[in-house]
Amino acid sequence: MLDGVHVVDDVGKLSGLDLDVVYVTTPIFSHSFVTKNVYSRGIARNVFVEKTLGSSYEEAKGLCELAQNFRGINMVGYMKRFAVTFRKAKELLDQETLGEVASFEVYGYSSDFFGINKNSKASSSRGGVLGDSGCHAVDLALWFFGDLQVDSAQLASLSNGNSEDSAYFTVKTSSALVGEFSISWCMENYRLPEFGLVIKGSKGIMRVNDDELELKLDGGKSFTWYRHDLNDNVFFWLGAPEYVREDEYFIKSVLESSNAEPSFYTASKVDYIIDQIRCRAGKDE
Amino acid sequence: MNNEGKKLLLVGDNPFHGISHLSQERARVRGYTMTYPEHAANLVMTSLENGADGFMFSVSELSLSILRTIHEMGGGKRLKLYAIVPYAFEYVRLAAQVGMAGLIKKFAKQIVVSRNLKAIATGLKGVVRTDPVALMKTYLLYEISRIKSSDKKANLDSVLLHEIITDMALALDLAWLFKSYVDFVSDLGIRPGFNTRNFPYLAKKFREWDIDWRETTVATPFNKVGFQMNPSRTECERALSNPHEGNIIAISVLAAGYLEPTEAIDYIANLPNIKGVAIGVSKEQHAYETFKLLKDRLGF
Repeated sequence: MLDGVHVVDDVGKLSGLDLDVVYVTTPIFSHSFVTKNVYSRGIARNVFVEKTLGSSYEEAKGLCELAQNFRGINMVGYMKRFAVTFRKAKELLDQETLGEVASFEVYGYSSDFFGINKNSKASSSRGGVLGDSGCHAVDLALWFFGDLQVDSAQLASLSNGNSEDSAYFTVKTSSALVGEFSISWCMENYRLPEFGLVIKGSKGIMRVNDDELELKLDGGKSFTWYRHDLNDNVFFWLGAPEYVREDEYFIKSVLESSNAEPSFYTASKVDYIIDQIRCRAGKDE
Repeated sequence: MNNEGKKLLLVGDNPFHGISHLSQERARVRGYTMTYPEHAANLVMTSLENGADGFMFSVSELSLSILRTIHEMGGGKRLKLYAIVPYAFEYVRLAAQVGMAGLIKKFAKQIVVSRNLKAIATGLKGVVRTDPVALMKTYLLYEISRIKSSDKKANLDSVLLHEIITDMALALDLAWLFKSYVDFVSDLGIRPGFNTRNFPYLAKKFREWDIDWRETTVATPFNKVGFQMNPSRTECERALSNPHEGNIIAISVLAAGYLEPTEAIDYIANLPNIKGVAIGVSKEQHAYETFKLLKDRLGF
């Protein structure tokens, strides 16, 4: 069916194929096992792992240490960083267009499990709502604002089971910037997963999501950018332009032996925050 | 498709599914009314009365309900149907909820329940021999039977592969998939089609694989701002200007509502080799104005 493609039923059987790069796109719970095997069996030095890096910070930390020993290029699939609207937001924040940032709100919503009342195996294999979509929201916040500490957290199961269906948590940074997160995959009318931030600064306010960016500055000036305005074309469209940009960037980094971001180390901070949220939610209940 | 140089005008179904490629927020603001089959059927009928020739839709329970309603309203006979399969969203959502194994089980059950004997037989053959072409045929027979059972008098002009399949198959260089798809759908007396966001690459591969453009429909974005035209508007226009006799249907003409209809349609009117246009409408007034404008500007 696919000419020249080897299909194996054990990651160890990839040994000896002289692979330049391995993409680990298995379910989250297996990322650590597969990635460890890729390194330890000498299958490849350059590894891309889909988000989240591990199913816990402990696993993620272990992979960071392992990757460091092999000195290849490593990266984790937080593709929202490659969406044109979020890139533009990052650019504006770096230019301090909003002045000093005072607070932010982040949401990550989808209707994936809206109206599903029974506990689904698929929801836990996807890492719960935090591992599936909350991680993107956390990664965007880390990228925009730097290191975060969780202040308070609440997790909820809407199916009366053990599933993790929605999360609300607050964070702060070392510079006393405060942030609020609302994450759910049981929202009505979110046909596709959507992520967004409202960022308040000393000079104005910015609203950004997957589709558009709105900037309102004190004094009345306002600007709106859609994907259309931000050169969203790619050399080959597959799924969404951000996936293609992400792949292109990783391969280029491998070819040029330059560090790729978010690296394992950068991405492990998301696993750390998720662990903090789960721990904090347990204490706050 | 169009023998007299008249452009084919199709109503697109994106608004009926609550889709806006400009912003999801905009789709939410439109509210639920858009997704009611009666409302959607009325919009299709108004479009037909003002110059539309047909309906381009993803095969889903909703769009099939719209077809049934149009049939009851007596609009089926003059409606040319351009069906896109699979309705990827429905399958992705199911896979997210029940996993891939659950999705396959559910799909197999649906085929059996449909009592489409040809589909069941081809499917069994596909499973026993692990034959992907047989499985593809099973799937197509099933989808086509769903359309025909919704409106027995439907003029199913073309069945197009959704971009998620077309573009993935292009990326993987699966010539066999394109060729077997074209052969199988043509043998059913339906024009095979492809929905793509990589038009220049598809055109290059069609030439390489010797696939006859005249036998196919290609639906792909063309708009003044190059939205979803990959790798660039210039490259897409260049691919279009190469002489061939393909049936290219422009979609995303309004760039998801970013462009005013007049400027959007003027751009399309000046492109060579465009054989048709598919545009979604969300209100009666839109349906009336858009198709009237299309008729006026596209030289009827």
